[in-house]
Amino acid sequence: MTVHDKRLARSHDDILEAIAAALDIPPGKFEEARQRYQALGSWLDRPESTLADLDPAISPHGSFLLGTVTRPLTDADEYDVDLICRVKGTKSALTQKQLKDAVGYEVALYARARNMARPDERRRCWTLNYAEGAQFHMDVLPALPDAQRYQAQLLAKGFRSLASDGDLSGHAIAITDNQRHDYALITDDWLQSNPYGYAAWFKGRMRVRLTEAKKSLAARERITASVDEIPDYKVRTPLQQAIQLLKRHRDCMFAKDGEHKPISIIITTLAAHAYNEEASLSAALQTILTNMDRYIVEHDGIAWVANPVNPAENFADKWPEEPRKRDNFFRWLAQARQDFAQYLRASPFDTVPAELERRLGPTLVKRAIASVMPEEAPIGAPALLLGGTHDAELERARRAVDEVQRSGSQSRPWTR
Amino acid sequence: MRWMRCSAAVPSRAPGRAETIALLTLSEVEAAIAFDQPGLRATCKNDAILVEGTFLVTDGNGACDPEGPLTQYAIRIELSPTYPRIEPRVFETGGRITRDPDHHINGDGDCCVTVWENWLATAYDTGIAAYLSGPLREYFLGQFWFEKTGSWPFGERAHGMNGMEEAYADALGIANRRRDILYYLRILRLPRPKGHWPCPCSSGRRLRDCHAADLWSLHRRIPSHLARAMLVRLQPRKGELSRTGF
Repeated sequence: MTVHDKRLARSHDDILEAIAAALDIPPGKFEEARQRYQALGSWLDRPESTLADLDPAISPHGSFLLGTVTRPLTDADEYDVDLICRVKGTKSALTQKQLKDAVGYEVALYARARNMARPDERRRCWTLNYAEGAQFHMDVLPALPDAQRYQAQLLAKGFRSLASDGDLSGHAIAITDNQRHDYALITDDWLQSNPYGYAAWFKGRMRVRLTEAKKSLAARERITASVDEIPDYKVRTPLQQAIQLLKRHRDCMFAKDGEHKPISIIITTLAAHAYNEEASLSAALQTILTNMDRYIVEHDGIAWVANPVNPAENFADKWPEEPRKRDNFFRWLAQARQDFAQYLRASPFDTVPAELERRLGPTLVKRAIASVMPEEAPIGAPALLLGGTHDAELERARRAVDEVQRSGSQSRPWTR
Repeated sequence: MRWMRCSAAVPSRAPGRAETIALLTLSEVEAAIAFDQPGLRATCKNDAILVEGTFLVTDGNGACDPEGPLTQYAIRIELSPTYPRIEPRVFETGGRITRDPDHHINGDGDCCVTVWENWLATAYDTGIAAYLSGPLREYFLGQFWFEKTGSWPFGERAHGMNGMEEAYADALGIANRRRDILYYLRILRLPRPKGHWPCPCSSGRRLRDCHAADLWSLHRRIPSHLARAMLVRLQPRKGELSRTGF
């Protein structure tokens, strides 16, 4: 997604940005997915659709909406495109089953019209599988607007400011769940979700850098449109890139234990909390990795990763019953700190340590580095050798000494 | 999420004059080294926290150096849970630094990083992270510079008691005269300096009528526990302390 200008890397940031760009969904693939879900949206809203009266609208949520999509671990894996099919119905007129079946019926018709396999029913959504070459599938989540009830519940729990913030709670939805006892009954008590409110919160955590990235894109591409008209998905901020790197690190580390790996929403939420509008990817990674666990709080002895747009919801609610998930999160965090710190603190920019390379995918890392390094560069040679002449070392030391002297030396050695 | 302590909390002084010291925890040390010093590992051993491994000396402070660290030293740090009241002991374990006073290695093998109380009195932040990125980094940067040039980039203190007096005088902001240093510390060791004592400026007036405000300001930087520690290290001779100031 990031427009890559082919300049040669000169810093750790250049290399990390190249890896993040390689991790991102390719622009062509993103556009293909966008066109396909828009086509599905048009199908659901066509005049002869059984849903037409309910004015269905399809839109992405999850990592597609947040701009934190990462390439699947292998070419055999697929991008998971999460979609919401929101209809203008009411819970007094529809059961969860009726909504799920109605959306499923139209999605199945769509699949048949395009010679695709029948959609698979999941607990809360329909999965639409595309042909092998497409390398993605779409999870379509049927939903109704449910902001009023969501805001009333926030208010009842004392979250007054959230309840009155239209961006954060005014687009909440009710979703279906076929495991619930009242699945086929008319009831007001549907499962709720607030992906658009979450996305608004997430965007708020990187507002300065998002605007800056758009301005930079406009200048680079000579775009005359105002910054507000540039879609968010055209750019990536250091926060989004950092999350992409961290999710990839997690995927590689838990390639054989996917069931118990730290979940993306926890990594994304904690990273966004810790992020402080750092301008560079390296600084963002340092801040996030150093501080993200501070946003896990204890409620009555239970670890709590609060949904920022519904603090009563705990993203880590599985940890008490499956302690391995909690242990894996902290194990992953310690390893990610160690791996990224080894690169950013202990290595020259052109030498990605083997451990980090292994946990980001050696092929991907090598390809990303090759795209920003001259072919004849001695990749892998330690900096102490590269710049290791007496004069070069002395010059670096002189700069360091000058800097300490400017800032006021804190110590002078002594002997007892 | 870990709140491991190497030992239980201890009162800093006798009951009745209670002042609780926040004990240094393993998780604090781990947080301090987690990103900036990835070559170090912290463990608890008995009551102490041991930090061992490779200490990186970077040529920038905070940001990552494109060329990697300037140099690195194998070290061991022994931290008391009552840090910063108790000075950390640092050992260079790789044998790179000659073990002699001229290389600022003490007789018992530990590195003489700085006059501890001088740093405590003058630094804005005396947390463990600030120590690692401040005096310790400067010490090893200085060692590297000395290796290359034969000189100490930030100067050096005189050996032994003379260096300590020099550092204390700097911390107090006064001329380096032992008698004056002792009198200042005698005043500052009290929780509330005595207003009827002679002012240390030698004006002959009482402190409350002269430089009381300055002394109070100094007392915030050098609180009584630190002044007492400095006095103890100066090892005043019998009667020497009582003669100062009067």
